[in-house]
Amino acid sequence: MHDTSGAATRPSPVLVRPLVRTLLRAPLTRRALREAAYCLLAFPIGLAGGVVVAVLLALGAGLTVSLVGAVVGVLVLVAGVRLARTLGAGHRRLASWLLGEHLPGPGPPPAGRGLLGRLDARLRDGAGWRAVSYVLVKLPVSALGVYAVLWWLTGLVNVTAPLRWAVFGQRPDSGEGGGMPVLTPVPAGGLEVDTFAGTFAALALGLALLLLAPWSTRLVVAADRWLLRALLGRDRLADRVRDLEETRALAVDDSVALLRRVERDLHDGAQVRLVAVAMSLDMAKERLGPPGAEDAAPAVGPADLARVRQLVDGAHRNATEALTELRDLARGLHPPALDDGLPDALATLAARSSVPVRLTADVPRRPTPAIETIAYFCAAELLTNVIKHSGATRADLTVEECRDGVLRLRIVDDGRGGATIGAGSGLAGLVQRVRPVDGRLTVHSPAGGPTTAVVELPLHA
Amino acid sequence: MRVVIAEDAAVLRELLAQMLAERGHEVCAAVGDADALRAAVAEHRPDVTVVDIRMPPTHTDEGLRAAIDVRRAHPGTGVLLFSQYVETTYATRLLADGSAGVGYLLKDRVANVAEFTDALERVAAGGTALDPEVVTQLAGASRRAAELAPLTGREREVLTLMAEGRSNAAIARALVVSAGTVEKHVAAVFDKLGLPVSHDHNRRVLAVIRYLRA
Repeated sequence: MHDTSGAATRPSPVLVRPLVRTLLRAPLTRRALREAAYCLLAFPIGLAGGVVVAVLLALGAGLTVSLVGAVVGVLVLVAGVRLARTLGAGHRRLASWLLGEHLPGPGPPPAGRGLLGRLDARLRDGAGWRAVSYVLVKLPVSALGVYAVLWWLTGLVNVTAPLRWAVFGQRPDSGEGGGMPVLTPVPAGGLEVDTFAGTFAALALGLALLLLAPWSTRLVVAADRWLLRALLGRDRLADRVRDLEETRALAVDDSVALLRRVERDLHDGAQVRLVAVAMSLDMAKERLGPPGAEDAAPAVGPADLARVRQLVDGAHRNATEALTELRDLARGLHPPALDDGLPDALATLAARSSVPVRLTADVPRRPTPAIETIAYFCAAELLTNVIKHSGATRADLTVEECRDGVLRLRIVDDGRGGATIGAGSGLAGLVQRVRPVDGRLTVHSPAGGPTTAVVELPLHA
Repeated sequence: MRVVIAEDAAVLRELLAQMLAERGHEVCAAVGDADALRAAVAEHRPDVTVVDIRMPPTHTDEGLRAAIDVRRAHPGTGVLLFSQYVETTYATRLLADGSAGVGYLLKDRVANVAEFTDALERVAAGGTALDPEVVTQLAGASRRAAELAPLTGREREVLTLMAEGRSNAAIARALVVSAGTVEKHVAAVFDKLGLPVSHDHNRRVLAVIRYLRA
């Protein structure tokens, strides 16, 4: 590694030395020791748990066959599944402690209503049955683990052979012909040494075993890790279902909230204004008298005329306000600029912003309308945050197709930072908006700024 | 006529107050929420109140609840509810204590100032003013809608106008027929519905309402 001059011409030491170093150091690494400890500790739980669960399941299944025992059998089965769940949790904890394998556990077992419902739910507990499979498969695996640990033990015993010979005087009994036994993890036909020099051969064998031992435990642990992830981790499909359920609820809530807001805005805004317009005009009409009155006599006095002017003024003002409110409301539902594509709409948005915004848009493939709308409202909300909270003097808005099929919207401002996706904040609202389409919002905003907010959306919802 | 107005939209509240004042009525108070309405009625004892159903803080039915309270606390006070939409359940709740001195109009009706003040005066005098929409909805919601089946189209029109709280003369004007014709229709309606004929205006409306709510 530290070769300087001849490294290029003699590449072999460069490759071989780290490999040798790894091999020599392997038995002394924390990882190897922890894995060995794991194999050792997991064995009693694996053995006892596996046997008990296997017995419970066999008993339950056997009882269920007979009509009389069916109820008891089902109860025993349920107990077996529950026990497997508990054991699974224990295995997960052990793996997390010694292997650094931090697996999120499955959710709580499904609840059911009533006695039958509860039994039914427990029997359908997918995570529970996966735990059962793990606990059963763990039986042979934990046995293998102990065998792997045996490599360590035999290695250690053999390494101490010369020492034992010298200190404890373990010499072959004269005449009997029995030497000092040399232990091997594989059957080798009763190796033994009967001279002090021979014990050094045992020492060499011990060292060789110790060098190999980490790999034997690692092999078993690798298999166990795979099983842990596959059987004791979360079920990916179930997780996806849960995620979809959650985001669907969010999407529904969001649309209901939107409709409610629109109704409220119309009710308190334009509708009231228009009622006032109609009322003012009717009052003005009364002042002016019935049609044709102007021909007969000037019934409308100066005071009446002034009042009529006032009423018409009021009506005009309210009509104008109503128009503005309706326009804002309509734009809030669907910005017309979006019809021409996201870049155009964002350009309009950037132009309206009170903080200067530099827009870079590179969207060769047009996203679906839903994605465009979400992207637009995210940009609008993020820009509003920049204007309201950041104290920034400028912002960069970038929208591009960053990877295949992923639209990325990025807003960087030079404000004071410190923005968080807290509950009830506008940013949390954005998360709610993007999650139903598998979008993501990330905000990097250290105190003092600058703030970078990134929204990633699939091109097609 | 002494009036208390409860309406949360300032534009409309002020315009209503102006309009009533111009027509020679006394607007004792114009308030923006239900609690202020209860207080104002207790203080001023008006002849009639104009109450918006949706008011702060929840913008649901504060006005209606306050109106019902007002009617219980001050039975002589007329209550004219008005709102952007007609809700059958609201009308039913409002009419639960009888129809004397009660009105329920769409906000749009304010656009016809004369008719609106007529309705308000009717309510103040202990009469009834129901929006045609309310009546239609109540009739539609009625579980005994089948019992309306024997009525002819004209008789239904008369019934609807009656339910709005109009007198025979007013119905005659509205339908451009003679008063006698209207009386004939009314008699036919009562006959077909099995209701005893009475010339008392309020009992007539009560009968109609009771029928519609059945």
